[in-house]
Amino acid sequence: MKFVLPLALLLSALLWALAAPSGLPDRLAPDALSLDELLMLYGHMPRGAMALVAGACLGLSGALLQVVLRNPIADPSTLGISSGAQLALVAVTVLFPGLLGWGRAPVALAGAGAAAALVMGMGALRGFHPVTMVIAGMLVSLFASSLAGALTLAQGQYLFSLVVWTGGSLVQTGWGPVLALALVLALGGGLAALMARPLSVLGLEAESARALGLSVGRVRALAVTLACVLAASVSAAVGLVAFVGLAAPALARALGARRPGQILAIAPLTGAVLLSLVDGLVLTAAGYGAEMFPTGAVTGLIGGPLLLWLLPRLRATPPPAPDAHLPRTARPLRRVGLIALATVVLLGLLLTLGRTPDGWSLLDRESLALFLPNRLPRLAGAAAAGGLLALAGAALQRLTANPLASPEVLGVSGGAAIGYAGVLFLAAAPSAVALTSGAALGGALSMAVLTGVVLGRDARPERLLLAGVAVSSLAAALLSILMAAGTMKSFAVLAWLSGSASALTGAGAALLVALLALACVAAVLMARWLTILPLGPEVARALGLPLSAATLGVVALAALATGAATVLVGPLSFVGLMAPHLARRCGLAQAMPHLLGSAALGAALMLAADFGARMASFPYDLPLGLFASLLGTPWLIWLMLRRPT
Amino acid sequence: MTALYTLSDVTLTVPGRTLLHGLDLSLPSGKVTGLIGHNGSGKSTLLKLLSRQTQPTQGSIAFAGRPLPGWSTRALARHLAYLPQHPPAAEGLSVRELAALGRYPWHGALGRPGPEDRNATDAAIAACGLEGLAARRVDTLSGGEAQRAWLAMLIAQEAGTLLLDEPISALDIAHQVEVLTLVQSLCHARGRSVVVVLHDLNMAARYCDHIVALKSGRLVFEGAPDDLMTADRLLDIYGARMEVMTRADGSPVALPV
Repeated sequence: MKFVLPLALLLSALLWALAAPSGLPDRLAPDALSLDELLMLYGHMPRGAMALVAGACLGLSGALLQVVLRNPIADPSTLGISSGAQLALVAVTVLFPGLLGWGRAPVALAGAGAAAALVMGMGALRGFHPVTMVIAGMLVSLFASSLAGALTLAQGQYLFSLVVWTGGSLVQTGWGPVLALALVLALGGGLAALMARPLSVLGLEAESARALGLSVGRVRALAVTLACVLAASVSAAVGLVAFVGLAAPALARALGARRPGQILAIAPLTGAVLLSLVDGLVLTAAGYGAEMFPTGAVTGLIGGPLLLWLLPRLRATPPPAPDAHLPRTARPLRRVGLIALATVVLLGLLLTLGRTPDGWSLLDRESLALFLPNRLPRLAGAAAAGGLLALAGAALQRLTANPLASPEVLGVSGGAAIGYAGVLFLAAAPSAVALTSGAALGGALSMAVLTGVVLGRDARPERLLLAGVAVSSLAAALLSILMAAGTMKSFAVLAWLSGSASALTGAGAALLVALLALACVAAVLMARWLTILPLGPEVARALGLPLSAATLGVVALAALATGAATVLVGPLSFVGLMAPHLARRCGLAQAMPHLLGSAALGAALMLAADFGARMASFPYDLPLGLFASLLGTPWLIWLMLRRPT
Repeated sequence: MTALYTLSDVTLTVPGRTLLHGLDLSLPSGKVTGLIGHNGSGKSTLLKLLSRQTQPTQGSIAFAGRPLPGWSTRALARHLAYLPQHPPAAEGLSVRELAALGRYPWHGALGRPGPEDRNATDAAIAACGLEGLAARRVDTLSGGEAQRAWLAMLIAQEAGTLLLDEPISALDIAHQVEVLTLVQSLCHARGRSVVVVLHDLNMAARYCDHIVALKSGRLVFEGAPDDLMTADRLLDIYGARMEVMTRADGSPVALPV
């Protein structure tokens, strides 16, 4: 085993040398160098060094987080720290470019710090429970990435380089950034070495550590801050390099590191070698004429599989406490009818309400006839998509008995996004039907992976969620690679990712409405299954429920509904998460009213989001999915905050 | 009269461990059979096998004369009701709705519940003394009330055999007596068979007609409660010295020395 690390380092050095534009220059005067020698001295050599230094920083950052949180799946990517830095950098570049005058590092650090504070706050409420923290972190991360993508989109193509940068390109044009990052690494490494002993005491439970006379809060805060500084510095230097901080400590453990001190010492080495190796492969692939993919996006691909591999090693999780205070109405079907009626009234109102430069007005008959062919498909399609997502969310929450399940969280939307992008890139001029089926197929495939986890022997709901988030992150990594390819199709993916209803045709809207009607019928037929399934597999089996068939039926319903809706609104709306909770809060407890009420509320939410998207920066449209996720994520975070252990 | 269960050479292994070693056993019909043993002896595991929640790695189990794998899912649920050790929270369900779920094996996913379904549900709620709580939500009940609501679901299932995994572990003494008395009367007055995992030796001796004791996945005792309650047997089963005393009514109790 002890030869693995040197061998891997040798291999990456070999790959790096093979991709070199020239031999090592024997003199340093720039005037006397050929172009290839210049590229070597100021491009290729700092790039190789950058891979090593950035990898070491991320490895140390991940190791610090894992040791201090006693959580083998913590790292700057899974805790949302890297994405927070990325969002801050994109937002400042777009909105306040003047602030960049002080350099990227402070901005990145502010974003990373804000994201870390948010996730740590959520974690503190749930006893720093590993899976809960990572779910919170990944949600913050997905949200930050989607927001950054939408900001990029809103500012047009001249920011496209930002997309490439957020993919984590290691391309260098000098030695400055490498030396700066090396300084950070040296200081961080020194501090980590000083903290090694308190950190190993913290490797025990917090109570025992306190009993040994350690100031737990101070050590924890210091270590997390250091990890944030390291990750934010990497973000500022090369952009988002995902999951190296997750993989490096895992590799260190696989190489035999056991004690916290060993992990802290070896993880920077494994991180450096890993990133260097990946970069060598990217360079080699580019040398053979492939696209020059950003290295950070390629490392993103390892995150999903790695999480799925680490899952069985996690300690058992306490189930979330049931909430006994939710209301329950005596006449649920009447209430569903009222909600549906209100949704239809809202649709009618939005059809006729218009905004002119002078103010608000109801359209008269003439302009209504003029607007209706445009507006009706858009609004009806948005409402139907919202209803489909909400129905899928309600079905999944009942299937997994987990209040945090939703098509977005379970990776169905991510899979649908992969399917959509796949069709877009493989077909020359894909039709709407091809794109829809691609998205549905992708959603179904990712659901199939998850169903494997559900039907597996030890399928606790929180693990299922984490597996879903892993699928989502794999999808996000693939998409960012596709986008970084920089073609017009990349822009189509980016536009679709943030979701827009304005392109919807009458036929498309009619199809979505018909699908919603069908899905409602299917949900009614499955209502009894969905009453029993939340009670868990043991009870379901004991009552003679055909467990596999019922699970597959619900999964198929959810995947189809999500696939169809995702094509319209993009993968990150969170309506599928919100609407079932709202329905529950309206007192709809039994399965059938809950499902139907969720669908109606989902439709209403999406109509509201569409209205907001059209009006927020009138007369321009914002992406519908983005607006919905702006409403949804704070809701989700609130939901996680108010569920104490 | 055929035995309720016939087990031959039933073995269950999980990676790295054997939980049950070649059990040969037959359980009587129409009686309360208690499964006892130390922690990790395999009693809950055996109950899961009997309820077909898990399959044995080796050996065969016959239920009512037919091999367990030969039963269709719903037919089995009409004859066999199972209560897991930790019933889930049943979020949002009322007591009546939970009890009515026991009718699923009879009306299925789409069948319309008929008068016999309603009668069975009402009778189950009455048998558990839950008439006053039928409209209450299960997740707002106390531990004992919730346990009775789950028992109502099992009774509404109208299965001839009930499998209960530690049904009294979360209850105080008064509720323990109440639940076990109910279980005993279900068996004796209505001709059902019950297999119940019990932690409490004295409760098992008092309420069961037949005792099966496991130790480290092996059968160590099978017989009447009176034969079980001797100091030597209990030392063998639990690995702890116990003193067996006789109460005023002549029934034995065991206490650790």
